Amino acid sequence: MSQPLSTQSGAIRGTSGGLNVQKLRIERVGPHGAHTIVSEISLKVEPGETVGIVGESGSGKSMTAKAITGLLPPAFVASGQAIYNGRDLLALREREWQSVRGREIGLVMQNPFTMLNPVVRCGKIIEQSLRRDVRKRMNRRERRSEAIRRLAEVGIDDESVVDRYPFQLSGGMRQRVGIAAALAREPQILIADEPSTALDVTTQREILALIKSLQVARGMGLILITHDLRIAFSMCDQVNVLYAGSLVEAGPAADLEAEPLHPYTHGLLLSEPPADRRVAELVAIPGSVPTPDSVAGSCTFAPRCGWVRPECTSGTPPLRIVGDGRMSGCVRIEEIRPELAAHRARAGGTAVPTGSPGRVNTLITVNDVRKIFQSGGRDVAALRSVSIHVGEGEGVGLVGESGSGKSTLGRIIAGLERLSSGSIEIAGIDASDRSKLSRKDQRSLRSSVQMIFQDPYSSLNPMRTIGSTLQETISAHDPSAKNVERLVAELLLSVGLDPEHAQRKPAALSGGQHQRVAIARALAVKPRVLICDEPVAALDVSVQAQILNLFSSLRDERGIGYLFITHDLSIVRQVVERAYVMCRGSIVESGPVDDVLGSPKDPYTVRLLESVPRSSDDWLNLGRS
Amino acid sequence: MTDLVATQGQARRRRLGSKLDFSRWLSWACFAFLGLVVVLALFGPLIAPRDPYAQDLALGLVKPSSEHWLGTDDLGRDVFSRVIAGTRTAVVGPVVIALGSMAIGNVLGVLAGYRGGRLDSTIMRWADLMFSLPSMLVIVVVAGTFGGGYWLSVGLLIALTAPFDARIIRGATIEQAPRPYVEAAKSVGLSDTRIMAMHVWPNVSPIAVANTCLVFASSLVSLAGLSFLGLGVSAGTPDWGLMVSEGRSLLFTNPVAVLAPATMIVLTATAMNLAGDWVYDRLSAQGAIR
Repeated sequence: MSQPLSTQSGAIRGTSGGLNVQKLRIERVGPHGAHTIVSEISLKVEPGETVGIVGESGSGKSMTAKAITGLLPPAFVASGQAIYNGRDLLALREREWQSVRGREIGLVMQNPFTMLNPVVRCGKIIEQSLRRDVRKRMNRRERRSEAIRRLAEVGIDDESVVDRYPFQLSGGMRQRVGIAAALAREPQILIADEPSTALDVTTQREILALIKSLQVARGMGLILITHDLRIAFSMCDQVNVLYAGSLVEAGPAADLEAEPLHPYTHGLLLSEPPADRRVAELVAIPGSVPTPDSVAGSCTFAPRCGWVRPECTSGTPPLRIVGDGRMSGCVRIEEIRPELAAHRARAGGTAVPTGSPGRVNTLITVNDVRKIFQSGGRDVAALRSVSIHVGEGEGVGLVGESGSGKSTLGRIIAGLERLSSGSIEIAGIDASDRSKLSRKDQRSLRSSVQMIFQDPYSSLNPMRTIGSTLQETISAHDPSAKNVERLVAELLLSVGLDPEHAQRKPAALSGGQHQRVAIARALAVKPRVLICDEPVAALDVSVQAQILNLFSSLRDERGIGYLFITHDLSIVRQVVERAYVMCRGSIVESGPVDDVLGSPKDPYTVRLLESVPRSSDDWLNLGRS
Repeated sequence: MTDLVATQGQARRRRLGSKLDFSRWLSWACFAFLGLVVVLALFGPLIAPRDPYAQDLALGLVKPSSEHWLGTDDLGRDVFSRVIAGTRTAVVGPVVIALGSMAIGNVLGVLAGYRGGRLDSTIMRWADLMFSLPSMLVIVVVAGTFGGGYWLSVGLLIALTAPFDARIIRGATIEQAPRPYVEAAKSVGLSDTRIMAMHVWPNVSPIAVANTCLVFASSLVSLAGLSFLGLGVSAGTPDWGLMVSEGRSLLFTNPVAVLAPATMIVLTATAMNLAGDWVYDRLSAQGAIR
């Protein structure tokens, strides 16, 4: 334990503008004692350096950022040290923080939709963020032109934005305003907490490129917090991997990408598939992220690790130096290093999608469907003449950004939305207007098509047990069903859950387990095709692959096809044979997935492909955007 | 330096801890008091040391003593026994009002919020109409016309409170109705009635229960007021509201005769409000509202 710390503190000496966090520990104090949020983190940022903190939800990465900026919520207590300019930030009082926040350390938050005050004009937001002495020196017109200048710095050339309210801007524009406000007091260090997660993929790339260019131009230190290793590799010099409240690996980004030296980082890299090819095996890390308290006193990753040995669970393994600038928390890393490399080589191989299109019987035919929403007295076309078809047991992808109409199309097929014109035929039944169909037809439509929703947490009734939700579905589908409890157990087993989960309520399950239950509920009516609307977008990266593999196995074993609606091209590449690309309510490209993503014809598809995070330098080089 | 931070952390932890201890103590106190009230309402006449109706004109009005703990009123009746015996009328009416208006209000509210459209506007316009009536005035006029009476007042209060419940539950339902779990229930083919009863209502129930506690507290006060005006229980019955009314002329001779029932009204209403908060927190912690 003492060895890595002494080397780290040895490097402090030169830090004048840098931030040095030592042994940061964060706890939440509740009625039942203290819970650990972050067990121990040490990291440092030099001016001009980018340090990434990568972790899944619950790893404590956002709380670390909040502790460093003194914004911890009331019940949270931080201990340890965060030295900046010779001062320990954690010991500051609220009044003292005011001269540090913004001025020394700027913060860009995750959700651009809620971080700007909706009743204040954008120009005013920037003005208010300026340093008081600067602001006081200027008159009204100067302040306005300063705000315009600041907005131009973050790539907003349209002067009228200063007079607009945040809700009149797109998500990307709002994030730019947020960045301009964070930079208004010329901080030396910028902390960006998932700055692009809430944005569309193409906007994400622009925002990240902007942050990177501003950092280089101003020579700031940047702490980038993200769950996406690919983004961390493309943006950062140093990457720290956080898992269940403690650091498991740290090192230079390029080295970490070439060879991760911890089984967790290794698994995380493999569960984020590339967009340029289909990998031989989508590796899933079993289980889900534990709470720091439940893995205290052992390696935090031990319960999910395939290389676990008794020595892993006897005492918390310290982060130790394992190579040039590399640190790892794995006690067995020297031993298993060749094994990890071999595993990567095997799983990373290229595979060819199975099942050639056209051979299968068509199950769903969507013909010239249009959908118009009335919004504020205006007609908004969500779908303009869309035609697609899905075959029996086929995996079909529907790709597009938010607002492309892909979810609307899925909901129309699932019968949750009515179409404005056009026709849909499902399993030989005309499903264009479900309310006109007989009960028998409605039932057979339901048992043909089932929907899996994006948010696994709200798609289950929080007040009912898993078992009662499934029983109810079984009885609704087949009132004469016997042995319902046995059927529930079978359903749970078929989605990889222990039948004893039937007793629990959704709050006792993790996100991945929620989504499994939602799939079990859909399977209860024995569907032939599943409409999956971003089924893994809300899940942790290490869990995503589990669910994707579940879809594949359901198809292989039961012949259940799926229409996979997503914005994520790398996921679509791994799980479907045929893909449609949607843009502004129309299909712009379609065909076998290898053709569509391998040699895209439509400029929109090209743009989508380019926005998938890559670590190479040119990814963030947009020229002037 | 580190030590300093650690001690600050510990101090903060202690402060938070004592805050939590107090709120837990408070909710225990509320439930203990409400439990006492329930026991008094059920077995009041058995517990009371003296007959609450027994007059002792020869004794007349006396101050609190070891004989009569809270003194007597002008007819020589034991105030302590009357407070205990009065619990039943004080509690039964508000319970009936709270449950009655919860039943009516929840059914209408969930229907309006889930179905929407014309049914929604019909129910809500009716609720608006009821809001626009000055409720106390209506009760005084109607109860006065029909000669008053406890159960008439209870019925009128149910009719006037239900629209409030309906409006609150409708709001909560509108929030739940578009959630994916409701859509999922629809897409597996459950009936609307079943979805409303088994899926939507359990998720608005924390609000319904908390609101019912508030209705209980407010109708306890309203009923006491009506008794005070002579529109509730008949004269002579031991009832907290009526005791305040009858005892007001004795305020300067035996103030306890007024203060004791008044204190019981305030404490019961407060305890019920706090208990409602507690129940709401507990139920919503299960993930119902979020």
